[in-house]
Amino acid sequence: MPTTFWGWVSLLIEKYGPLFLNGTLYTMLIAISGTVIGFVIGLLVAIVRTIPVSPKDPVAKKAGLKLASFLLNVYIEVFRGTPMIVQAMVIYYGAMMYLGLRMPALGAAIFIISINTGAYMAEIVRGGIISVDKGQKEAAHAIGMTHWQSMLHVVLPQAVRNIMPSIGNEFVVNIKDSSVLNVISVSELFFIGKSAAGTYARYFESFFIIAAIYFVLTFTVTRILRLIERKMDGGRNYTICGSQSDSEATITIHPEGEVPND
Amino acid sequence: MTEQQPILEISHLKKDFGAHQVLRDISFAVHSGDVISVIGSSGSGKSTLLRCINYLEEPTAGQILYRGRNAETLNRAEYHSKVGMVFQSFNLFANMTVLANCTAGQKLVLRRGAKEAEDKALYFLGKVGMDAYRNARPAQLSGGQKQRVAIARALAMDPDVLLFDEPTSALDPEMVGEVLGVMRSLAEGGLTMLVVTHEMGFARDVSSRVIFMDQGVIAEDGDPRDIFTAPKQPRTREFLSRVLQGGKTE
Repeated sequence: MPTTFWGWVSLLIEKYGPLFLNGTLYTMLIAISGTVIGFVIGLLVAIVRTIPVSPKDPVAKKAGLKLASFLLNVYIEVFRGTPMIVQAMVIYYGAMMYLGLRMPALGAAIFIISINTGAYMAEIVRGGIISVDKGQKEAAHAIGMTHWQSMLHVVLPQAVRNIMPSIGNEFVVNIKDSSVLNVISVSELFFIGKSAAGTYARYFESFFIIAAIYFVLTFTVTRILRLIERKMDGGRNYTICGSQSDSEATITIHPEGEVPND
Repeated sequence: MTEQQPILEISHLKKDFGAHQVLRDISFAVHSGDVISVIGSSGSGKSTLLRCINYLEEPTAGQILYRGRNAETLNRAEYHSKVGMVFQSFNLFANMTVLANCTAGQKLVLRRGAKEAEDKALYFLGKVGMDAYRNARPAQLSGGQKQRVAIARALAMDPDVLLFDEPTSALDPEMVGEVLGVMRSLAEGGLTMLVVTHEMGFARDVSSRVIFMDQGVIAEDGDPRDIFTAPKQPRTREFLSRVLQGGKTE
């Protein structure tokens, strides 16, 4: 048996390397699906909650929207107001005991993290929609766009860009918080760490490895998200087309301080 | 010969915000080729009038007829494309290029093909002197340039009448001229315009008719020469002497 810290670390990696890798894949799968599905849920919830109601609308539409809005509020409050680890227990064992539904652990994990993230995303997307200057929506209506057209083509693209940092934040939180889903025995990273530690009773070394993997994951993801944000902003350069003598001529403008060929 | 049917006929329009009556019984008609300037002090209801005509605010009472048909019963998208609007704060779509700003409405609302929409957009961008900037984004333009693009965006929808809501009020003084120049050439080209403005020079020299609003009603309505040289109402006289002294004569 090894006698040093690094000795234990290398033994654990040697014995459990493929399992750690598997756990990493599960963690990423859960975090990515949870963030993407949660974002879609958040988008839908926020869109429904921002449908404009005019006093002239039929009563059924007004009542329907009011009811939908109430139910969505309940959803958001409940899932933001209880810990995900508790939600996991309630949903997983509740489904098993009262619906006779034995969910596969991975499926249950993705389901739970998605609806949990959706509750947060709903508020984030709503904030993003509010952040887009109201005048642009009015301008969209003034050239005849419907509510849906103005949302789809004008408001949401800007709202999503504005909330990218918050979406990235949710993603990083999901990578870390998916660890609580070990309570429903999904073999994500923390769960693997626990099993590896248990065999030799080397908790420190095992979780040291797990911590390092989590950090590499979140750090890499943060950098990638930053890159995506810069890509979404597009180039700051633009081209002026045509001149008095040559209609094909172009001049490219580089805003001050910007290096050409950027 | 019967009188030509007006493009817009506004009758007994009222708008309340809570207990506050902003518009109290406004009636007038806009005929093809009219260039109407709406002047008056802040809070007189000028902008609210334009916003009600374009249904950005729902009128509390009254009726708007578009070519003789009740605008309420018309398809909103169709009505909006026929009654265009230019805003004080430009309101360009920040996520789109200059060209896309001018094609989005044509494609989505009028269902025009990409080629046709682009040709049309470039034609009107050329008219306002902004075609060279077709690939720029709104954030890269000056205020005057933005407003010229916003005018091209509205024109690309082939409106019957264009509403201007204080189009130069948010501009730096040196950019006011370029936007007024564009508006002047549009007026000379026969575009029907309803312009809420503080630019008395424009109202006096370019418009075919001036409406003076005060406290939610039309206090005076007539030929610009008459209104600027011989206003009938004491409150028109008082307003004009106040603003003309202030030097807002373009």
